[in-house]
Amino acid sequence: MPPRPAFNRKSETTAAVAAVCPFCSLLCDDLELRQTDDRSFKITRNGCARARADFARAPIVSEPLVGGQSTSLENAVVAAARLLKRSEQPLIAGLATDVDGIRAAVDLAERCGGILDHVHGDVMNATTSVLQSRGWYATTLSELRNRADFVLLAGVDLNERYENLSRRCLRPAASLHPKNLRKRRVVYLGGAASAPRDESTECISCRAESMAETLQALLATLKGARLTARSIGGVSRKTLGRLADSMNAAAYAVIVFAPASLGVHRESAIAAICDIADELNREGRGAILSLSGDDGGQTAVSTCTWMTGYPLRVSFGKTLHYDPVANSTNKLMDSGAVDGLVWVDAFGRHPDPPAGNAATVILSSVKTAAAQTAAVYIPVGTPGVDHFSRLLRTDSVVSLPLPGLRHAGLPDVAAVLTAITSRL
Amino acid sequence: MLTRLQGGRIVDPMNGIDGEVRDLYIRGGRIVAAPADPREADNVIDVSGRVVMAGAIDLHTHIGGGKVNIARMMLPEDHARDPVAARRHPHAGCGHAAPATRTAGYRYAEMGYVACFEPAMLALNARQAHMEMADTPMIDKGGYVLLGNDDFFLRALKQKRDPKFIRDYVAWTLCAAQALAIKVVNPGGINAFKYNQRKLDLDEANSAYGVTPRQILLSLSAAVSDLGLPHPLHIHGCNLGVPGNLATTLDTIRALDGLRVHLTHIQFHSYGTEGDHQFSSGAAQIAEAVNARPDISLDVGQVMFGQTVTESGDTMRQFAGSAYADPKKWVGMDIECDAGCGVVPFRYKNRNFVNALQWAIGLELFLLVDDPWRIFLTTDHPNGAPFTSYPHLIRLLMDRSFRNDMLATINPEAAAASHLGALDREYSLYEIAIMTRAAPARSLGLDGFGSLGVGARAHVTVYEDHENRETMFARPETVLKDGKLIVRDGRVVEEVSGATHVVHPEYDPGIETELSRYFDRFMTIKKDNVRIADDEIRDGGRGELVVHATAAST
Repeated sequence: MPPRPAFNRKSETTAAVAAVCPFCSLLCDDLELRQTDDRSFKITRNGCARARADFARAPIVSEPLVGGQSTSLENAVVAAARLLKRSEQPLIAGLATDVDGIRAAVDLAERCGGILDHVHGDVMNATTSVLQSRGWYATTLSELRNRADFVLLAGVDLNERYENLSRRCLRPAASLHPKNLRKRRVVYLGGAASAPRDESTECISCRAESMAETLQALLATLKGARLTARSIGGVSRKTLGRLADSMNAAAYAVIVFAPASLGVHRESAIAAICDIADELNREGRGAILSLSGDDGGQTAVSTCTWMTGYPLRVSFGKTLHYDPVANSTNKLMDSGAVDGLVWVDAFGRHPDPPAGNAATVILSSVKTAAAQTAAVYIPVGTPGVDHFSRLLRTDSVVSLPLPGLRHAGLPDVAAVLTAITSRL
Repeated sequence: MLTRLQGGRIVDPMNGIDGEVRDLYIRGGRIVAAPADPREADNVIDVSGRVVMAGAIDLHTHIGGGKVNIARMMLPEDHARDPVAARRHPHAGCGHAAPATRTAGYRYAEMGYVACFEPAMLALNARQAHMEMADTPMIDKGGYVLLGNDDFFLRALKQKRDPKFIRDYVAWTLCAAQALAIKVVNPGGINAFKYNQRKLDLDEANSAYGVTPRQILLSLSAAVSDLGLPHPLHIHGCNLGVPGNLATTLDTIRALDGLRVHLTHIQFHSYGTEGDHQFSSGAAQIAEAVNARPDISLDVGQVMFGQTVTESGDTMRQFAGSAYADPKKWVGMDIECDAGCGVVPFRYKNRNFVNALQWAIGLELFLLVDDPWRIFLTTDHPNGAPFTSYPHLIRLLMDRSFRNDMLATINPEAAAASHLGALDREYSLYEIAIMTRAAPARSLGLDGFGSLGVGARAHVTVYEDHENRETMFARPETVLKDGKLIVRDGRVVEEVSGATHVVHPEYDPGIETELSRYFDRFMTIKKDNVRIADDEIRDGGRGELVVHATAAST
């Protein structure tokens, strides 16, 4: 078996090459792209709006900064280590990075007694909390593609993100069971701007804030309860009845949801979705599929879990301490409980750390005004673009190898964090 | 450097040595012959009065992969009950039933284990399983990749593709997933559950493909045998945990007549339906069948009382078991047209008739199967109990009066329904060394493991010959891995990484064309991205790849 290159040499030419997209948690691996004159990439096949924008970013050209002044990587690492040594309670957050980046972040947090959280920690924690209180019956992308004959999309606007879900899973060109594909009904509940107008698709509008109560009403309807209200969350009793009938009649119903779009009652909405799948599984088959964990979020949660036992929001002291409520980035920054922050943003989508008084080290693949005001700024490569990377997909089953596509001379997050740890 | 372990009582069944007092010499990570003059040794470790065995091997323990990580994520209360002080181990961690990877590695090493094998690795999740295992220090490892519920294989059987096609697919899967062996879980049943079949007996057809578990077992075991894999097909059979599954297990044994196979966690497949509770022990019948079939090996999957979590690919049976989840939560998953998983927390109670009888059935199996070379010591970690309960289990096997005292504490009806009290057998140290060292090494084809002979890898455990065998095995005094001192007085003194053991059998590359087409048309990942590169296993120095020979090796 030929070895698999950690770096795709062909992509350094103008030839079109196959690539895996690291920019959302679908990790589409059927893209084709070619390098342009400014060393960014133009997608020639199977992209989406988000991938087009992110691949069009040329590699960052900047020296590391300490106190806003250019310096060497070595000096920046020393300055970051000094900052962490002085810090009473450091926070390592953002954590938009890959498996090796999280491995290094865990070791850094252990060495400096830090806390770990991700930029999407609040949203991901709602899902984790449902997992820890009741569990669920879930499915994965290829199962959705081949097995489902009914799909309910709860709060998923494919115009906004996960655009390729439609091509890859909802309306694929082929299926192991073509009958399922022909019969398949897709119902959009919530922001349905992206829904195609055809006979097998239905749109039911519902505001994010009303999603939890609407899903609970759907559950009650599935269980045979008669609702007294004519409509719940803006969805009529009749529509809910029809929806419940379709779901009961389905051989394999999947409820796909994006926790980020489920409003303030997110946790209740997710629990209701899990209840619906359980109800379907009493006599038939159903499952849930969560679309979340962008910016390496799924990777961060999974890797931190296997290394420490806990899905982020863990602090290192005499023993590990998991506190998913207190160890939230926003809470810690707002209350001033942390005085040192390492903010990691290798995908370049969240370069600005949360406001607060903590002395800050930024690792990012882009440079904004925050780089000038931070105590230390270190430019890093984008995983799967500037270096070999491994990332976990939204279904938390599949992980992909992403060979580097260009040599921009940028260090990866793992190398920088490991260097900082070695100086503590 | 030449190290001399002086004056130990050597228990080394691979070389037929049973308690002989002799010195052991180690150089360059291997056991070497005694030099002409013992004074040549640069380093002498006095182990007089101690028992010396090879490093232990666990051939069935769920230590890495998606379902293990779901269990970790779901059970913060389990971790909080079992914290590890920061200074206890080289790195922080936690976890009783579903420990963090590093904690698992340290604890295994502290019990004298040097190699552990994840028995349910999904090809589509293998990269994660390997990354988790790379983060499990101290021990060598490997995975058995699941087949028999994936749509590609079931389609091929339905289409009556020839055995060569199946063999090529099996070989490709082993290479792609970097696996050591093939495992089948509830053959066809995980797939059938996706189509809402709630049970699947040996000759019942999967509704989507019209294929029976018997056909799947015969096809896979033939492929494993033709490829000349060191380890036979690793079978988790139909109807796990179902009262009366004894009949299915005996049918399965008959169906595989003349084939070399491994039946895993046999305790969960040895249930009758006699008595007031319609739940009884089938250990005697299973043991009788196995004793008559020298080509069959087993591991037990012993149940121990207390909190644990069950992690299995068997969605069909885990769904049924989810009613008994404690604490009341569970996760099920249909996975990538490949397989599935179910994670159900569970508390085995000695006052509960069924749990108590499960405990007794496991012990009966240990005591009734004659040949320790064919029955391995496992709790199916963590399904029957966490691996940290092995020392207690060893005491139960070695100490009849202790066993009978324990028997007196369980549900009295279960105690009365079991023949355990009438079984006099006590395992010897020699037999324990067989079932935890020599036999698994031989079954997996791990050259140089499970032996203290000249040329063997210097994996050595030194125990105080304590009368209480639980105390003895819980805390070896010294553990050497590749000749290096890694554990002293029951504590890790040096962190080492371990190698990953795999096979790379040859296959006709034509299979790749068909697989590429299949993955492109139906899956959401490309075939080439499923495959794990050798360098990914080396993982920047965390791992090392050891490729074992097969009859048809690349």
